[in-house]
Amino acid sequence: MVIPLIAKNKKIKVVEPFALYKWAKNFKRIQDRFYNQKYKLRRIQQVEDFITLNNFNKVYHIKEVRLDLELPKTVFINDINDADLILVTHQGYARYPCEGIIEQIETWLERCPKLYLCLNRHYLNIDNKKINLTLPEEFQKAITSWLQQSLSKHRVIDLSRDYVDYGRHFTWSLPDRHYFIEKI
Amino acid sequence: MKKLIEHFSDYPMISNDKHDYIRYRMGRIKHQLWIKNRKNKHEIIIDTHDKFILDNLKPGKTCVFGSAGYYLEELVENLTVVEQWPIVKKFYPNAQIIEDRSEIAKVNGRIFDNFVVVNNRGDAMCELSVVENYISKYVQTMKPGCLFFYSFRDTQIVGWNRLTKDHRNYFLNFAKHIENTYSLNLVWHDIKFAIKEKDGAGNYDILENPDTTNGNIKYLFEYKSKTKKIND
Repeated sequence: MVIPLIAKNKKIKVVEPFALYKWAKNFKRIQDRFYNQKYKLRRIQQVEDFITLNNFNKVYHIKEVRLDLELPKTVFINDINDADLILVTHQGYARYPCEGIIEQIETWLERCPKLYLCLNRHYLNIDNKKINLTLPEEFQKAITSWLQQSLSKHRVIDLSRDYVDYGRHFTWSLPDRHYFIEKI
Repeated sequence: MKKLIEHFSDYPMISNDKHDYIRYRMGRIKHQLWIKNRKNKHEIIIDTHDKFILDNLKPGKTCVFGSAGYYLEELVENLTVVEQWPIVKKFYPNAQIIEDRSEIAKVNGRIFDNFVVVNNRGDAMCELSVVENYISKYVQTMKPGCLFFYSFRDTQIVGWNRLTKDHRNYFLNFAKHIENTYSLNLVWHDIKFAIKEKDGAGNYDILENPDTTNGNIKYLFEYKSKTKKIND
């Protein structure tokens, strides 16, 4: 049965699938309103603490979702070359191919030797490419191992908390896998 | 200092119609089609996957579960829309609201000639073993010959290693397992992943897999039969 392109005197318009609306930038603020009580995502606190406790003063922040970071003493600068830390919370980089993520990290480290990178685990290897490394079977450990093996000239520190993410951990507000990567 | 939160359930969420509607709508992209279409006297907008489904439906009764299926009301005769969010009843009174998927068969019986699940948020963020359990409930509503349209996004399936597994094989093997276990013959599938190439400036796009609306993993099964000729 092929439907006619008219039904009940209405014309049927067939369009390509597309995202009909975009929540992305305000996703966290929408989720914030799910609760009466004021709260803060632990992972956001973790980022703020990392920046404060390590005395990073000039941060170049590559973002998508508005995170409302509370860092009164930190200057968010517009020129990456002046930064003492690059902070990446933009979901999109996890949707790079794996080799592209590594290339991008190398590029960032050329501009600034310290990088705090947040990756959304659910997007990794988006294009289904074989990775020619021996990796652990446990996915979270595999992500860390892939980064450490691929960036063996640098120091890669896993700052993530391990858990199975059933979509109830605010991952699309702030990606879940956190790494401090330092050029050596 | 504000209270720290790690998980949705760390503090009780607000419970009112506005909140429930926003949460429902965030997970139901196609609800937007219903908003667009319901007041349009001249035109019904559907996408190419809707067209594929409509072109391939068998005559008879159709159930659309968890997929904002009310936007297809003008196009599908004998349509039963089943949802799990009571808020749906407020704007679409004809919807059947269930808590557990096993209620679909209890309420309706084995009556459906078509069963449709399109990128149901309620079927996502779980392991494929859980998806299989859901499918086992849907099967209980199907007449022999029933067509089962099922689609989802690989990025919303949990419990597999995206770095070590071949994605295509992983999801194709799942379909074959379903075929062997539930007498659901796989008569069509469409599994697509992002193709990433550098642009002129040496950068990649940041797009996700194709068709985040309907899902990049699409199956069509036929229950206890394999006679379906696909209109593609």
